[in-house]
Amino acid sequence: MILSLNVNGITHQVDVDPGTPMLWVLRDVLGLTGTKYGCGIEQCGACTILLDGEAERSCDMDVTEGVGRTIVTIEGLSPDRSHPLQKAWLAEQVPQCGYCQSGMIMAAVALLQQNPHPSDADINSAVDNICACGTYQRVRAAIHRAANGG
Amino acid sequence: MTQPKLSAPSLKRRQFIVSTAAAGGGLLLGFGLPIVSRLAKATGAAAASTATTVNTWIQIGTDESITILVGATDMGQGVLSGLAQIVAEELMVDWSKVSAVEAPANPVYGNPLFGGFQFTGGSTSVRGYYQPLRVAGAAARDMLIGAAAQIWGVTPAACTALNGTVVRNGTAQVLTFGALAPTAATLPVPANPALTDPANFRLIGKPVPRVDLPAKVDGSAIYGIDVRIPGMAYATVVHCPSIGGTCTSLPQTPPGATGLINLGNAVAVVADSTWAAFQASRELNGNIQWNIPASAAAINTPQIFSQAQQLMQAGTALVAEAQGDVDAALAASAKVLDLTYDLPYVAHATMEVMNCTASVTPSSCEIWAPTQGQTSAVYTAAAITGLSPAAIQVHTTMLGGGLGRKIEMDFIAQAIQVSKAIGKPIKLTWTREEDFGNDQYRPMALVRVRAGLDASGNVTGWTFRNVSPSILGQRGYIGPNDVDSQAIEGADGLAYAFGARRLDWVPHPAAVPVGFWRSVGNSINSFAAESAIDELALAAGIDPLNYRRNLLANDARSLAVLNAAAALAGWSTAPPAGHARGMAFWASFGSIVCQIAEVSGTTPATLRVNRVACVIDCGSVVNPDSVVAQMQGGIVHGMTAAMWGKVTFTNGRASARNFNNYRMMRMRDMPQIDVQIITSGAPLGGVGEAGVPPIAPAIANAYATLTGQRLRTLPLTGPQSVVDPIFTSGFE
Repeated sequence: MILSLNVNGITHQVDVDPGTPMLWVLRDVLGLTGTKYGCGIEQCGACTILLDGEAERSCDMDVTEGVGRTIVTIEGLSPDRSHPLQKAWLAEQVPQCGYCQSGMIMAAVALLQQNPHPSDADINSAVDNICACGTYQRVRAAIHRAANGG
Repeated sequence: MTQPKLSAPSLKRRQFIVSTAAAGGGLLLGFGLPIVSRLAKATGAAAASTATTVNTWIQIGTDESITILVGATDMGQGVLSGLAQIVAEELMVDWSKVSAVEAPANPVYGNPLFGGFQFTGGSTSVRGYYQPLRVAGAAARDMLIGAAAQIWGVTPAACTALNGTVVRNGTAQVLTFGALAPTAATLPVPANPALTDPANFRLIGKPVPRVDLPAKVDGSAIYGIDVRIPGMAYATVVHCPSIGGTCTSLPQTPPGATGLINLGNAVAVVADSTWAAFQASRELNGNIQWNIPASAAAINTPQIFSQAQQLMQAGTALVAEAQGDVDAALAASAKVLDLTYDLPYVAHATMEVMNCTASVTPSSCEIWAPTQGQTSAVYTAAAITGLSPAAIQVHTTMLGGGLGRKIEMDFIAQAIQVSKAIGKPIKLTWTREEDFGNDQYRPMALVRVRAGLDASGNVTGWTFRNVSPSILGQRGYIGPNDVDSQAIEGADGLAYAFGARRLDWVPHPAAVPVGFWRSVGNSINSFAAESAIDELALAAGIDPLNYRRNLLANDARSLAVLNAAAALAGWSTAPPAGHARGMAFWASFGSIVCQIAEVSGTTPATLRVNRVACVIDCGSVVNPDSVVAQMQGGIVHGMTAAMWGKVTFTNGRASARNFNNYRMMRMRDMPQIDVQIITSGAPLGGVGEAGVPPIAPAIANAYATLTGQRLRTLPLTGPQSVVDPIFTSGFE
């Protein structure tokens, strides 16, 4: 089936089975590999993208759910790592292996859009992605840094 | 961690490679310099050893960019950046001009601590490469100076390297490294270039930003799972549901797949996309004929545990360490504590599942893999393809976590086998369920500590008996009468001044595959030993800090770590109401760490870690911010296992399938971690693993102080805790 997807401001026509998860269309069809596979059951958050500005886990989302909506992946956040959260992430030297970090950043983007000054408790509930390297303390610090203007 | 038992290719003692074909019109300078290495020893006691060879390649672009090739694998620990930092220090270049890339598999990039194997483990990268990379950087700098001197017709002493240039002393004349590189490459490699006085270090010891992080915040970093090769097909695998089983016949290729390949203990499903392969593999699951050996029925957790208990009582032990007459000491003691600790199998759970991309042709084999073992990958490929190592190329990608799991070759071998079978490049990706179900788990263990106290509470004798499966034995690296160094790791050479002591290990024959899990035996033995020390302190009526101080009275370096941790945690102050503190101390990989956990919660199920103070003495430091990150990460890794980690087996099948029934730490569980680094000037210690071992006993000790209840079984929060309460999806 040919579907039209608006990803990072560009409209793509993709020919895929409609039951394919959005994650695999982004990765294998569009080559946007910044969005990661971690679990396939919406547990870990490595696949988090923005769907009309909301954080959504894309690994168990039918690609058809994205039709007619605005999709943003980590690659679309800024052309030059200038998004306030990307800058804060580098200032705090957050990533270790980095594999979960696209999802972490996308969850944080959605959080700050809804709640520009989140508390630690707000961060705990909105950013519940898994990071096996243990960057949580720095993720928290980076979100606060971005919320406070960098 | 022990080096893999593979025959190393012959290493040339001295190599020098010049290529004018480097990208960007620059010049590739290669340096292979004899160096004096230090032998890895878990205790960190470094000794002078025979010389071995290591090389680093430094690429200087005409645009003045500096690219450093790194022989070790970066799995998040920051070694790509850290090793480049060492080269850049001596090379006298601006850090902002430096980039680092993973070197290809080649003997010239081997780690001297692993006999020249390109292998990342045992927290050895900085320790192994530190000296040779300084020499390589200094040699390159001296050659660049030599080139400038030649051009100006002066002696090298009349020139100085400064920020990527060479300046003619006392003049305004300057030549850039980019301009000098072609001439420099024609000069002889100095054998003993002068190294920078550490007092003048500009980069080593400084928290410079990591070079790999920008690509990790914009999605451009390429992990193994992201590799895309023209014309490649996609595959996944379905392993036999029981350990030890093999596929007897393949079913019909399911819809959506383009082929099935029998890999022995697994079936590969080939398709046109990862998702198609995953879907087809799920449809396939019940249709494969497996030959499951009768022995699989014995792979049950209750049976493995009861066998461990029998071996604890009556098994034949291999004595790993003995000092004094410990039996007599215990018999003469005023009090004897007899304590048994029980640890389950745990999974690695790297965020990036096992995957590998391979392209095999009749004359070549190219591999793109998130691997900790480049040399092993070459030999694995050679064995499968029959090609010579020279025909095999290994590209190391970024790793979405390694944790010791990506030392293994199973997933790499599968990709090579599939590509060879179908005659096309293949990207092979495991599902998370296959990843959890087919790990090489941290071994289960039963550990019994018997320790005697005299009337004053001094330890008169200490016996430590570890019953656990053998990582090295399963691989055939040791014989039946050899002690597995990994099993007893850290339990030997305890710094405490006990009277008599004995360390016994009884190998457990359980067939569950076991492997190297970040810090390996240390994280098992630390839980038993450091819990026991607190139990002894309690029995003696002495504060656990003072108890350890007494046992380490003649060890100034350890005492300094203990005291710094006590100060950082505020040990002498009362914790908040409803909280209590517990400590643990552990020396591993040449570093000494003390962690003090502050916990709350009156039941195991409500146990919460609120704060951890961590002090490490790693001798000296290349990047202090990376050391802090590794302590934070080690604590989280150890805490996940301590609080919730457990894999059980039923008829050879692992319980863990996904993150819904293998709980991982999340943001809401994260304690505040404060880290202090002591640079005592002792020999360099490893930092990637040393932060893991103390956290489990520190939490258990804090909980015992808070509640009076001693938890001797992991996971601490109880057997049901593995299910993540956050799980709400209806998947499977």
